[in-house]
Amino acid sequence: MGSCLDKYQELLGQLQKQADIMQHTSLLLDPYIQSQGLDKDGLKEHCRERPGAYPSKDALQGLGRWEFLRTLDTTLGHVLHRLTALRRDIPRAQDLEILNRAKQNIRGFKNNIHCMAQLLPGSSETTEPTPTGPGTSPSPTPTSDTFQRRLEGCRFLHGYHRFMHSVGQVFREWGESPSRSRRHSPHQGLRKGTSRMQLSRKNKRLLPRGQLPR
Amino acid sequence: MRSAEDDAKTPEQSFWSNWSSWEEVDVQNSLGHDPLFVFPKDKLVEEGSNVTICYVSRSPQSNISCYLEGVQMQGEQLEPNVTVFNLNHVAFIRETGTNIYCKGDQGDSIKGIVLFVSKVLEEPKEFSCETQDLTTLNCTWDPGSDTGLLKQLSQSYTLFESFSGKKTLCKHKSWCSWEVAPESQEMYNFTLTAENYLRKRSVHLLFNLTHRVHPMAPFSVLFTDVSTTNATMTWKVHSTGNYYTLLCQVKLYGEGEVTQHNVSVEVDGEQLFSGLEPDTEYRAQVRCANANHFWKWSEWTHQNFTTAEAAPSEAPDVWRNVKSVQGHSVVTLFWKPLSKLQANGKILFYNIVIENLDRSSSSKFLSIPAPANGTELNLDQCSYQIHVTAHNSVGTSPASVIIVSGDPGNKEVEEERVKGTEDGFSLSWKPQPGNVTGYIVEWCDRPRGPLCDLQWKSVGPTTTSTVVSSDAFRPGVQYNFRIYGISTERVPYLLEKKTGYSQELAPSDNPQVVMSNLTSRSFTLSWKDYSIESQPSFIQGYHVYLKSKAGQCHSGSEKAVLSDDAVCCKYKIDNPKQKTFVVENLQPESFYEFLVTPYSSVGEGPHGAFTKVTTPDEYSPILIRVILPMVFCILLIMIICYLKSQWMKEKCYPDIPDPYKSSVLSLIKSKENPRLTIMNIKDCVPDSIEVLNKQEGTRKSLTETESSKPTYLYLLPTEESYSGPGPCICFENFTYNQAASDSASCGHVPVAPKAPPSQLALLTSPENLLKALEENYMNSLGEIPAGETSLNYVSQLASAMTGDKFSLPTNPPEPALCSEYKMQMAIPLGLASPPSSGSSSLSSFTLLDEGEHYH
Repeated sequence: MGSCLDKYQELLGQLQKQADIMQHTSLLLDPYIQSQGLDKDGLKEHCRERPGAYPSKDALQGLGRWEFLRTLDTTLGHVLHRLTALRRDIPRAQDLEILNRAKQNIRGFKNNIHCMAQLLPGSSETTEPTPTGPGTSPSPTPTSDTFQRRLEGCRFLHGYHRFMHSVGQVFREWGESPSRSRRHSPHQGLRKGTSRMQLSRKNKRLLPRGQLPR
Repeated sequence: MRSAEDDAKTPEQSFWSNWSSWEEVDVQNSLGHDPLFVFPKDKLVEEGSNVTICYVSRSPQSNISCYLEGVQMQGEQLEPNVTVFNLNHVAFIRETGTNIYCKGDQGDSIKGIVLFVSKVLEEPKEFSCETQDLTTLNCTWDPGSDTGLLKQLSQSYTLFESFSGKKTLCKHKSWCSWEVAPESQEMYNFTLTAENYLRKRSVHLLFNLTHRVHPMAPFSVLFTDVSTTNATMTWKVHSTGNYYTLLCQVKLYGEGEVTQHNVSVEVDGEQLFSGLEPDTEYRAQVRCANANHFWKWSEWTHQNFTTAEAAPSEAPDVWRNVKSVQGHSVVTLFWKPLSKLQANGKILFYNIVIENLDRSSSSKFLSIPAPANGTELNLDQCSYQIHVTAHNSVGTSPASVIIVSGDPGNKEVEEERVKGTEDGFSLSWKPQPGNVTGYIVEWCDRPRGPLCDLQWKSVGPTTTSTVVSSDAFRPGVQYNFRIYGISTERVPYLLEKKTGYSQELAPSDNPQVVMSNLTSRSFTLSWKDYSIESQPSFIQGYHVYLKSKAGQCHSGSEKAVLSDDAVCCKYKIDNPKQKTFVVENLQPESFYEFLVTPYSSVGEGPHGAFTKVTTPDEYSPILIRVILPMVFCILLIMIICYLKSQWMKEKCYPDIPDPYKSSVLSLIKSKENPRLTIMNIKDCVPDSIEVLNKQEGTRKSLTETESSKPTYLYLLPTEESYSGPGPCICFENFTYNQAASDSASCGHVPVAPKAPPSQLALLTSPENLLKALEENYMNSLGEIPAGETSLNYVSQLASAMTGDKFSLPTNPPEPALCSEYKMQMAIPLGLASPPSSGSSSLSSFTLLDEGEHYH
């Protein structure tokens, strides 16, 4: 992992912009539909996100910051694995290039999630988000049936873009009102890490900036 | 089901086993719990194949529809829950396969398959092998369409050589390398096989290795002994064995030309280039091929070189422009840069030697650094010979000599017109009888600019025509050309002038017209400031358009219809130098509009805004001419009269003698009669007005007047009621009524019997009285009409004077009441000289008639 931005607002803005970009279906879903021939009437309506494949927006908004980052990191890890599996259904080099670029974006986003986790109070020791529990994995077991696998891939990508849209909104809420949502407030992390604050050099840097509520 | 052995060495010799026995399967039981199934899954077929698709639904009542790439298919129902679809000549759609899917009415469940349709594997084309170094064979071919699919890799290629029995799997789709055996195997027989999941295709090639040598490109290309005109090129070739000779081809590019040489080479090549131009960059390239069995040329190897500089070969082309400024000659020298072929290198500077021909000992030297193309010299009126040379790093060019004569010799030359074309101006001139060394045509590329960008063209002595062309020539710009002859003494002298347009354009501007001499019948137009030289074409004259409501055109004009369909009269002026025009035959008090526009051979100027004018009425000028002098004369007379008023007064109406200064006074004084005095009219107070009622018809005679009975209107108290201190003297207009005077010491004013009381009452007030008096006075000046009632005033003056004529009375009357009176002076008979009674009355009348009065 590369060096992190130690400015909370800048990092938050970067995460917002990345999420805004990654929510666009032109990055993954549209090329996939085109290459797989799913852009036909009668097929498009079956290319919808399966309920429960990704955390809903309400669920994300209900998470604390730490839990949100952990969920986000875990979900994107699943997405990376699923994108790798999707390669077998994409024969053309230019489509593979699109897929690889999307994977690089996700990796960069995950890196920023780690950096943000370090900026949250009380995060000096827990910089690696832990996986969430069952029910949040967006990658059901791929089938051997090419047609069904094709539809599943489409649904997975649809859900991915929707998920990134929700993520972007949550990050925007962080920026708009850091203390509005109790769950999204860094207070929780601050309270948790009160005993460790004196041990954490990063936390010492964080407090004087006044970017987080006291 | 049956099986066969797959032997790659003998693909044609495959032996199939017998078919197995049929097995019956219950579909419903074997499919599981899904409501719908579509078969076959992920089938791979070649393009153009026939395929059968079927679906099995668990519920026969389900209304199932199946689609091929979104298009519904019509199937054949085999059983209530089994339907088949026969697809003929399926086409390749995409590498990811063709989507075929079925779904029920509800649309919530969808099942489908992907049919992978592969393109047909093609036979490799243009299969060929060659070697560059006799150690490796490089075989190439055109693979045709790629048959790769999501379910199938692209076709693979294998190379098999039958003489050696070797086989290799090619790593690339279009080429493959083959190691040549160390032994001298000359003949090779290759089989190239293309193969995919569905099909195999093979091609064969038999050749001699030495006939397929494609040499590598030469290397180490160098140039030695490069001089101004020669250079030697050397190169090396890659070894292809000791027994091979290469044929090399050398090409040299320079100055737009290409020369080619063929050289036989075994190891090193060499080629001499001669006849090159100095200071010129050349590009040389070389390639080689097997000289014994030509197969292919190698790639080109190219290299550039530049020849050495030489001294400039030509003298600069020099011309001059001479201006006389305050007794000096300002000579601007121009020279054209030498061409590359003439310069033979980079020109560094120009040397100028100015030699005074009148004083041979005097000369001047100038060095002008390049890239200047001219300089300015201030010379006196002597003749000078100017030498111009160009210098590069190697040497000096021949000198260009020009004479600037002290005598400008500008003779008047008539200017001719020439017609230009897109290609330029074709100029010709008369050959000169004397010896000339050449001619020069001079012009300005930008005649309208501050710097005219002088250009010139030199031609030989036998040439008397040339075409002058320039990229700077623009349509609508007048260009002036001067043709000079160059004498054997190198003195230029002007021969001819020519002017013209590369393309004439219609005039773009109309003149600014001034109107003058406006009369009721004509007016004058003038446009003196209009310059015909700066127009975009040769102006041939002017059109004067005149619009009028009458619409009739007089002689000298013709009717014309303008672009806006307006009809007007058009006058044509053929002389472009005529810049005035009198518009005649106009109607007074009429509205006209006029426009003056130039015309040339390509059209006339724009029909812009017309100028409006209204002619005045016919008599106003006459009246003005008459009235003004009359007014002036009257004023003059009045001024003269004023200045000469005293004289006029003496001549026309001399002063009435002052009674106080009359001799009568002395007579009175001598009698010392205190009661007698001279009446001052200011001291009079009218007491009554006599109103006379004249009979209509003729004027009454004096005697009749005397006998008439006047009616008196008493304005002042009568004698009984008035207790004034002094006696009154009464006067009467027109006649002096002695009787009245005698009968009453204070006269009575006769009153007209029919005078209305109101009028009488009005007259009793002082103001009304004055008005009445004034009116009567005015009437008295004129002839009294017959039968008109008139008022005759009889003034009874209560004299305030008892003795001293300047003393005021104790109760003085208003002085204004005594004004505006015509008065008669009554002198007592006893005091005056006794005239006859009739004459006395007559003289009194005469006095009144002269209008004597006091203010």
